[in-house]
Amino acid sequence: MSRPFPYAYISCPCANTPVPDPSKKRRSRESPQKASSHHPDQPKPPPRFDDSEDEQTFDPRAPRSNFSLYPPEHLLYCEDCHQIKCPRCITEEIVCWYCPNCLFETPSSMVKSEGNRCARNCFNCPACTAPLAVNTLENVVRGGTSQQGPWVLSCGYCMWSTLDIGIKFDKPTNIRTQLAKLTATDTNPSRSRQMSRTFADLKSPLSTFSSIDEQFPPAPGEARPDDSPDQSNAPLSPDARFHALKGFYKNQIAATSSSSSDPLGVDFGAGFSSPGALNRIMSLYTSSSRLSSLYGGASKKPKTKPPVMREALTASEGFKTPAPDAEAGLIQRMAADGCGWDGLASLEQRVFQSPDARFVEELLPLATLLRTKRAKRCKSCKHILVKPEQKPQSTRFRIRLIALSYIPLPTLRPLMPAGQIPLPGAGVTSSSSSGSHPAGLSMNLDALPPLRPTQLLLTLKNHMFDPVRITLATPSVTPGRVASKVTILCPQFDIGANSDVWDEALQGNPTAAAASAGGTATSSHAPADQRSSRSGAAPATATAAAPGAPLGIFEKVAEAGKVWDKGRNWTTVVLEVVPGTLPSGSSGVTLPPSSRNPDARTTPRRTTGPDSDSDRDSDTSSFGGKAPDWTGRAAEQQQQQQQPPPPLQPDEDVLEIPVFVRMEWDSENQIDRPGVSAAGEMVKRELAYWMVLGVGRIDPSVLG
Amino acid sequence: MPPKAPKGEYIETDTGNKISRRSLIHGTQHIILGGKTVIQSDAVIRGDLYRSASSSASSAAAAHKPTPSMSAPAGAASASAAPQPPPSVAITIGRYSYIARQAILRPPSRLHRGVYAFYPLKIGDHVFVGERAVVEAASVGNHVHIGRDAVVGSMAILKDFACVLDGAVVAPGMVVPSWCVVGGAPARIVGEVGEGYGVEGAEGGMARERYRVVGR
Repeated sequence: MSRPFPYAYISCPCANTPVPDPSKKRRSRESPQKASSHHPDQPKPPPRFDDSEDEQTFDPRAPRSNFSLYPPEHLLYCEDCHQIKCPRCITEEIVCWYCPNCLFETPSSMVKSEGNRCARNCFNCPACTAPLAVNTLENVVRGGTSQQGPWVLSCGYCMWSTLDIGIKFDKPTNIRTQLAKLTATDTNPSRSRQMSRTFADLKSPLSTFSSIDEQFPPAPGEARPDDSPDQSNAPLSPDARFHALKGFYKNQIAATSSSSSDPLGVDFGAGFSSPGALNRIMSLYTSSSRLSSLYGGASKKPKTKPPVMREALTASEGFKTPAPDAEAGLIQRMAADGCGWDGLASLEQRVFQSPDARFVEELLPLATLLRTKRAKRCKSCKHILVKPEQKPQSTRFRIRLIALSYIPLPTLRPLMPAGQIPLPGAGVTSSSSSGSHPAGLSMNLDALPPLRPTQLLLTLKNHMFDPVRITLATPSVTPGRVASKVTILCPQFDIGANSDVWDEALQGNPTAAAASAGGTATSSHAPADQRSSRSGAAPATATAAAPGAPLGIFEKVAEAGKVWDKGRNWTTVVLEVVPGTLPSGSSGVTLPPSSRNPDARTTPRRTTGPDSDSDRDSDTSSFGGKAPDWTGRAAEQQQQQQQPPPPLQPDEDVLEIPVFVRMEWDSENQIDRPGVSAAGEMVKRELAYWMVLGVGRIDPSVLG
Repeated sequence: MPPKAPKGEYIETDTGNKISRRSLIHGTQHIILGGKTVIQSDAVIRGDLYRSASSSASSAAAAHKPTPSMSAPAGAASASAAPQPPPSVAITIGRYSYIARQAILRPPSRLHRGVYAFYPLKIGDHVFVGERAVVEAASVGNHVHIGRDAVVGSMAILKDFACVLDGAVVAPGMVVPSWCVVGGAPARIVGEVGEGYGVEGAEGGMARERYRVVGR
């Protein structure tokens, strides 16, 4: 999912160890500090150490970064490995199967036999995939509450119903069984199924091969040519034919394999994997060649000639002979007036249907596919990280070790420059126009002015019960062609412990929040701030709490080396960013308004949806149209004189700051259960990872 | 404390609801707000579409009569006035829910036994309804996110921690299980949110912060 600006992604450290090796577990066990012990304490970025790969600056635009960056809530934390775990470094186990429509659990023993689909009344529309509802055709109410009359499945989205394919149900329950019977039998003349046998009969394990042969007169529909094209179908329904074929080949295997040696040779797997079958297969290669001398022991024995497997021949065995004019009939039907384009099933629709279904009226409702609840384990140490409750409707977890409980939650907010303070009283409109954006941004993050210092507030909120010491480091210039300068004014600071969650919850009344500092810097944690913020911060922000004062207006000036604000379990520091100019460098280039309108707030960088495609198209087309301008501006852009730079790549104008976070804290030794006071002595722990702060888009039209 | 600003956009109720003066709320006596709910300007909340005594009575009457006729309500309304308390609830919204601008909340309706009736719309806590979204769900669980321009069809059920992407069209009667992300038209399950979804301050857990910045 794409995120609106500003966002923060966290890079899982597993990106540096592409193959999950068992040694990782050992290494992380013996010293979790080791990974980051040689990092410099000063905020200088790590790229000074270019000798090892670990020390290179994380590039958010590198192709591999896509696979390691995750939103914080997607990450887990293994207490055994002391490491962040992303979806790549976990394994999953299915806890239960359930239908996403009726939310009933399907026992694991039945999942396979039901074809991984809901066995109840849940169906999806074959035309549009929306869920189908069971509706009655007759609204007549007779005799109390009971509604008699046929029932249909109908789609509330595209108005498709089973009436379109001529199917009605006798009762509103057990639709799937009814549907299986209806499609397998010929109760409905419009479906023109020639089968007189129900699917359940064929499925019965007692129905042996010979009995089926007796029961089926040889292919009544196959022999006689029919006028209607779908009359020329095989007499068996696809499901029944599949089962007939399966039964036939199962019997063939059982008959041809030496049944004495493998009593289990009634199924495919056992028939082929048994030693007898292997012997037979090997003898195929050795018997007639000179290799037989090598395996002479076997050739001495007089061999029994293996019986030859035959293929299915008759329709009752599942063999289907299309009528000679089947293709012509299909074409005629396509060309008929009643069909047209709308009568043909689309490729997407046919994917989930029987291969014979070509027309819309041959589409059958699809039973809803089951979903799973899954437990998650650490791939390296096999500890369970997430274990949801088995009940499908429950949203609780027995075990849930999410990374947010361990690593500080980053939140980024722009700090309004002092020069842009709007008039008091304009705050109402500005806050109301901020719409759904919770931070109430007064700054347009989709058009960051290049080369103008912008200050951002980075809040890190600690969820652990131990105080944490944080060291942040960032490259002074962001990697990539758009070089933005980044300075963290206070790279080293402490975050208090998350002592008691109830304090915050109990004091979360809005009046306290309003009476405390007015502004976004304290808005999210206002009650905590009121109690525990440093005394110096309160008066400074209180002056800005004028009526209707817009968000994020501070008269406080960010100072280097000092934290901006601090609360019980959070600390805010200031980042100063000077967005670089886009590589085009020409002020005349303007992106089409579609890429700058509010819809572009969501960054489609990590999505492959239509958003990114359209973005790319608009970008390239706009720059393609401006191509003649390069020569005219060549004089003032000497670095581009040789050849015009490649046009701006999609989302290259997104300002993303890689930040290296190193956290140190003291924790109890034995069990890493924060808050549980074990008797063990305190152990210093460290954790280091990269995170990427997405600030916004750099305005392409403004230069300087 | 500065003088009271008369031009404040939001009315704050005793329970902390912040309701824009420019919102369009119909049938307020049929709407229950759990407190600390934000309703932004131009949001439309149709509390007037409650399950009227006449419609429920006619359905009850229809149960005893062979044909439900439209002349039934006059006599049946008085009959069923006693079992049903007069202020029936059309829309319930939980705490810290946020109805963005131009969103429309409308109770679901369906034709049941020949009677077209409205059913209550229940919205849980920490729910976000995006701009210009139309919600006709039967129930919306806690921590549900409904994106911009999304349409949630009649009688749909969004379970806790469900997420409807921007512009999605949830088909009528669809059930979105917990932790699932749906998108597209018609909406399908396209993914799942992370296990940390809904943690305070993280994605899905921003409701308190959203509430606090409103009206400043």
